[in-house]
Amino acid sequence: MSMCVTRPFKRVCWKALILTLLFASDRCCASQSDFRATAEVLRSQQQTIVKLFGAGGGSLDSYGTGTLVSGDGHVVTVWNHLISTGYLTAITADGRKFSVDVVGTSAEYDLAVLKLRSEPGDSFAHIDLTKASNPDPGTPVLAFSNMFHVATGNEPVSLVHGVIAAKIPLEATQGRWTFPLKSPVWLVDAITNNSGAAGGLLTDTAGIPIGLIGREIRHSTSRTWVNYAVPLTTLKPVIETLLSGKKLDSTPKDAAAKVPVISDQELTARFGLTMLPNVVERTPAWIDTVAKNSIAAKCGLQRGDLIVLVNDAVITSVTDFQQQIAAFRSGERVALTINRDQQLLPLDLQIP
Amino acid sequence: MNHVNVRPFWQNGLPLKADHSAPAQGNYCEVIQPSFLRSQLGANFRQASKINLWLQCILIAFTMAAIAVPTVAQQTVVERETARVETLRKISPSIVCVMDPKGQGGGSGVLISADGYAITNYHVTSGCGTFMKCGLSDGKLYDAVIVGIDPTGDIALIQLQGRTDFSFAIPGDSDQVQVGDEVMALGNPFLLASDFTPTVTYGIVSGVRRYQYPANTFLEYTDCIQIDASINPGNSGGPLFDIEGRWIGINGRASFEKRGRVNSGAAYAISVNQIQKFIGHLKCGLIVDHGVAEFTVATSDAGEVTVAQVSALSDAYRRGLRPGTQVLSFAGRLLTSANDFQNVLGIFPEGTRLPLTWRDRDGLHAGTIRLRPLHAFQKAPELPEERRQRPPQDPEQQDSEEHLLDTTADEVPEALQSLFVARDGFCNYYFNEMQRLRVLTALKERMASNGDPKPVWGVTFNSDPGSQLAGELTIAASAVGMNLNNRPFLQSTTDPQIDEESPQLPGLLIAMNQVRRLLSCDAAEFTEQQAAGRTFHLPLKKDVDVLLTREGVRTCRWYFDESSTLPVAVDLEYAQGIDDARLLFADWADRNGVVFPGRIGLISGIQEDVRWLNIDNVTVNKSAAPEKTKP
Repeated sequence: MSMCVTRPFKRVCWKALILTLLFASDRCCASQSDFRATAEVLRSQQQTIVKLFGAGGGSLDSYGTGTLVSGDGHVVTVWNHLISTGYLTAITADGRKFSVDVVGTSAEYDLAVLKLRSEPGDSFAHIDLTKASNPDPGTPVLAFSNMFHVATGNEPVSLVHGVIAAKIPLEATQGRWTFPLKSPVWLVDAITNNSGAAGGLLTDTAGIPIGLIGREIRHSTSRTWVNYAVPLTTLKPVIETLLSGKKLDSTPKDAAAKVPVISDQELTARFGLTMLPNVVERTPAWIDTVAKNSIAAKCGLQRGDLIVLVNDAVITSVTDFQQQIAAFRSGERVALTINRDQQLLPLDLQIP
Repeated sequence: MNHVNVRPFWQNGLPLKADHSAPAQGNYCEVIQPSFLRSQLGANFRQASKINLWLQCILIAFTMAAIAVPTVAQQTVVERETARVETLRKISPSIVCVMDPKGQGGGSGVLISADGYAITNYHVTSGCGTFMKCGLSDGKLYDAVIVGIDPTGDIALIQLQGRTDFSFAIPGDSDQVQVGDEVMALGNPFLLASDFTPTVTYGIVSGVRRYQYPANTFLEYTDCIQIDASINPGNSGGPLFDIEGRWIGINGRASFEKRGRVNSGAAYAISVNQIQKFIGHLKCGLIVDHGVAEFTVATSDAGEVTVAQVSALSDAYRRGLRPGTQVLSFAGRLLTSANDFQNVLGIFPEGTRLPLTWRDRDGLHAGTIRLRPLHAFQKAPELPEERRQRPPQDPEQQDSEEHLLDTTADEVPEALQSLFVARDGFCNYYFNEMQRLRVLTALKERMASNGDPKPVWGVTFNSDPGSQLAGELTIAASAVGMNLNNRPFLQSTTDPQIDEESPQLPGLLIAMNQVRRLLSCDAAEFTEQQAAGRTFHLPLKKDVDVLLTREGVRTCRWYFDESSTLPVAVDLEYAQGIDDARLLFADWADRNGVVFPGRIGLISGIQEDVRWLNIDNVTVNKSAAPEKTKP
């Protein structure tokens, strides 16, 4: 480099240095790529989570999680069994207890918007949906939820850490029910697929809200429990529509689409089981014959048994049973509950 | 801010040059290539307009920022990793793989002292028996013996044998642990490491001060630390460390559900601060019990903690607590829920005296209560089958070794058999005897100068100015008499009556009889003597060793500290429904041939205030001589 460029070069260097510091300081803070978040971030996020209590029974939990999205007490959560009750209650982070009304639901987004029955003057800490971000895979995340109902009253909900593993459309099922959302969701490597975690909040380590923790669900292909969250940027327009009082199409468009059913022939060939002929619309799931030394016989099924439950699903008809059984893959174990001589018996069926 | 662009710098350690096979990394690859910088600067300087210059500046600034930031981050991450590796290197030797003598199963543990004491879970040792085999990270196997157990708190103390220079973990202050803190769990899940190198799992604190119900057993996790580090079968009993390598808990429980008994992201560690309160008891070979406060509380709708029920014979009732009374704090911790109360209650051993504040119509009050036994186990309690530590096996690895030890190996070396003595009410009586004799032998040596084993002592005393008490005590084997401000009292030592005590100094006469018994150093004076652990003495404001003696219905807890072989205090429990007589002893000295304190303090149970009696003179009454010759 020649001497005559010294002055401009110096100027360039000065300006570059100043700008470098400006950019660098900005990036430096944002690139804290670990799971440490400040106590202030954690505390303020905890304030936006509510503990929900609603319908449950058997292995379905009567507790869950919700995330406050408005100062008036609007809460979003997953539209699961918990919501299907008239006596839903919520406990806010400071320990206050509220009755809860369902404002609206969306089957397509697996979303429920609730409202705490608050007194005039009540205000609630809440997440700002307009600030919801759309980070890339690899971003460290924190998940807030009342999994396993560990926290009671005013105790802060549980916090787990992980990173966003992928952003993909999710193919997953829960029994016969198929996850309806077609747009991508985040898979996370934190364990969020836990009792009562659905409806919790996924944030980045700076506390920016990014997703609503999804329900307990298995991947359609691998049958593993999926840890996922639905992007708040996806849910935001839906939430706003529900808050505006508009109704959404309550059934997913393809709900009536074909549900896989195990045929009579396959049931006999694979399980050694014949059901009562399916002559009326809701023929009860009575067992007609059980082949000797078949899977059905080994499991303990007998002629005349009425199948009442497949895992937790109530069986209302032969078709229902055939649909339920079709949802399981070879090698999986299924808990059958049957009615024999007015007694309920638990049986363990291994899918051949 | 795009995280993908900067990550590879430190995550993958990529060199600073272009990698065109990875388009996603193109951004930084291009701007940092040194040849690019050179050509830009060299060719264009002279012609540069002002605008051009600024553009260049911005470009260079971006470039430098892009280089500089990952370098800073890289350094931080590398530094943190180096520190973490170093920490793990330091703490790993303290990790114990605890197995039954046949190596069929077990869990983890952590060494806490150079002489081999190690902490693990009760549900680990309860399946292992009296002696166990312990593997350390040096790959060697050590014999260990059970010392003490805390079944309710799910804690057991064992002692590894064969060395006096074991590496051990340094405890931190688990009360300072906060949600979001980084933690590391060490142990031997699934008995994976046959050379006992501990498995490390990393996570964050998910919750603190958690209360976990006993759930069909007596195992109760109070005030515990919830973590999302992976905890699996075999991790039980292993330590939890903070990121600096301070021992903060024992991993003992996890929420297991649909996945079976494997990590679910919700595990619970017993806090080290709770464990520290039990170690002194455990070292005495005891089956340590937890306590009850003899009153229950509920959280009101207004978020207040109020008394639900209270036993009429309890300390709390005598202090004035009644149903509806609002309890404000317990053991110094403010209460906002009934869970808070359970959390505090659960971290103390039975017998601990704790301060309480409450509010009723008359205003604010404070006082202390002593915890009474919760379970009073006489034998180590059995756990339900499903709660016992099974031989942990990796479910995915069916061919994993079923056991790590040669089952034909000697089960217990004969030399170790003497380290265990079975006795009802104790976990391992050998250790109780060791601790008890340590205290009593030192006391006996000190008392050797007393000579006469059945003396009659005459003691004159006066109080601090203000209460104006003065009098004389006569302490004999058959009775204790007192002349207090010219009013006589006489208390039988064989059948003492509460009514015979002076109202000003209640319990003093019975207590002085107990003092005489202890100082005689004659085991026959008591029906039972045992080392009873270590506790915090409120008026003394320090930790003291406890010697428990029983004589009839009278139970004494004698407190000893390092400064003296003589007791510094005693609590005498002599009747149900009244407060213990509680004395402090100070300025022990030879007084006319009798070892006797120079001052005796009487502690009031209300607020732990002390009234001191100054001992003026002690004499040995020669007329007692005939008593000695009685048949």
